[in-house]
Amino acid sequence: MRLIARFAQELQNGIEIVDVYDKEVQKSLLSFESLKIETLTKKYPSAIWMERKINDEFGVEFIDSFDTRPLIKHEHFPSDIYPLRKDFNATEINFTEYKPYDYEAIGGDGVFQVAVGPIHAGIIEPGHFQFSQAGEEILHLEIRHFYKYRAIEKMCEGKEPMNIKKIVERISGNESVAYQIAYVEILAQASNTEIPKSLKQKYSTLLEVERIIHHLTDIGFIANDVGFAPALALGSKLSEEARRVFAKITGHRFGFGAIKEEITIDFGSLIEFLNYLEKELEFFRDWIYDIPSVWDRFDTTGKLSVEKAIKYGVVGVGARASGVKVDARDNDFYKNFGYQMQLGKKGEVSDRFKLRFNEIFNSIEMIKNFETYDNEGLEFGNFKDGEYSAFTESSIGELFMYLKIENGLVDRFFVRDPSFINWQAFHTTIYKDIIADFPLINKSFDLSYAGSDL
Amino acid sequence: MYRYWKKRFATTLEQDEELEAIKKELKKLVKKKFGGSLAIRMVDSGSCNACEAECNALSNPYYNLEELGIHFVASPRHADVMFLSGVMTFNMYHHAIDCYNQIPSPKWVIAIGDCVKDLGVFEKTYAIKGNSIEVTHYIINCPPSPKDIIYGLLKFAKKV
Ligand code: SF4
Repeated sequence: MRLIARFAQELQNGIEIVDVYDKEVQKSLLSFESLKIETLTKKYPSAIWMERKINDEFGVEFIDSFDTRPLIKHEHFPSDIYPLRKDFNATEINFTEYKPYDYEAIGGDGVFQVAVGPIHAGIIEPGHFQFSQAGEEILHLEIRHFYKYRAIEKMCEGKEPMNIKKIVERISGNESVAYQIAYVEILAQASNTEIPKSLKQKYSTLLEVERIIHHLTDIGFIANDVGFAPALALGSKLSEEARRVFAKITGHRFGFGAIKEEITIDFGSLIEFLNYLEKELEFFRDWIYDIPSVWDRFDTTGKLSVEKAIKYGVVGVGARASGVKVDARDNDFYKNFGYQMQLGKKGEVSDRFKLRFNEIFNSIEMIKNFETYDNEGLEFGNFKDGEYSAFTESSIGELFMYLKIENGLVDRFFVRDPSFINWQAFHTTIYKDIIADFPLINKSFDLSYAGSDL
Repeated sequence: MYRYWKKRFATTLEQDEELEAIKKELKKLVKKKFGGSLAIRMVDSGSCNACEAECNALSNPYYNLEELGIHFVASPRHADVMFLSGVMTFNMYHHAIDCYNQIPSPKWVIAIGDCVKDLGVFEKTYAIKGNSIEVTHYIINCPPSPKDIIYGLLKFAKKV
């Protein structure tokens, strides 16, 4: 079984730990007097962050866990509050005295630490990378995030379900459409209705356009990280063009607010653009696949082995590039419209790079099949109390979202971004590489910090 | 080689007259007020990452900000201006201020996006501090498009 998420929620009579696997969901209720439960980390290493987060936010102790350091509670964060408990309502807390964080570090003669972040050299999101180095070789890397922790989960609580839509679509900007689709699916479940097929086709169209833009941007930036700037010029030009088309059909460059109860898409101009893009991309591919100095850096770098990918439950591009078959689109609906799972072999930077090309081609094909002029809409009724969940395949990977409605209001909102899992497996990919390869490997996964930090 | 690429790009790039005019004026001001070079350090204090994506887009062939003498730099010590995005989280607060303090004077802060100004669609939580660094110029929208940002830079350059 693959672990998808472990999260907590407060009920009347205790705290419930919810374990979501690909085949089943297990729930355990812990009484307030004894907030303790067995750790899952021995079997599922990606449970480490999940449990540390629960411990920080709810004060639940995980028996036999080998890592009990705080996760979201950074150096100045008060350690004695459990902000996701229902009795915590403060919207302002004070900085406490600086408590150093105990980084994983390797000692020894000549071994030294390189601390990178939270603010990085380029225009990227903040996060910290702590390297133990022997010369240029990386001995160990600890990734430490949650600098962007905004407490989105708490922010959503107590609000009407319709009112948090605008927050949900801005959790992770480059996956916005995926977040919106997951949320609308949940709302449809809660009002006991189904999303009509033609509307689903339109949602999926926008999701694939979002994926195309994300992949195009990455193709340019990955090549730029080996010093091949012309690819960035071409990649960023194409992604800008795609973004403008996206803005034309959704009214927003990132598709914020695009997933509505009723939408019309100008398929004509979209498909015209995609035909152009296909040609440009064929040129791009034939050109860059032929440049040996680029592949010299891509090949053998940043290898995510199949074993590690499975052990960590890696999802999305990262998993598929290693040959692991996970994709929330792997179902009849998508297959009927021409979905074909793209897989890599070795899980190296080169596999992730090629995979992005192949996925764009497949997305283009699907969008052409999604074309529809039916105008079926969706109508939300009253949202019934209950627990709902949804999966979507964002441009990064499988997104899991959960919503609990009580008395018509949001009682618990939880989302597990694909990045949250993949970040944890990241360190396994760098042991044969030198520190200068790190930005390249990082870009080849292109994970979200905002989505992971929440 | 150069000519080949020039041709390849020239045939497909749409021209935006208005943008070109803004860029021309901005280039002049950068030359006049900043000696022809304006260095920016971008700091994300808790954004959704769309604001960063738009700032990255400023370097693509459509906007090509570098040709105006405006560069994004790796170190705050090389910067004249700090671009600040995001809601300023509790966990980023000290780091963002550290970064600001490292920028040599004279220095200016330009806020990118609604989040910095009034948290945008977000609401105050215990994990959000909100920005307290003095902002010289706000470029609003969620996110501001690359064109908004370039226009905002022009307004900023006129102001200082
Ligand atoms: S202003 Fe909008 S786009 Fe920018 S970081 Fe905030 S939510 Fe994202």
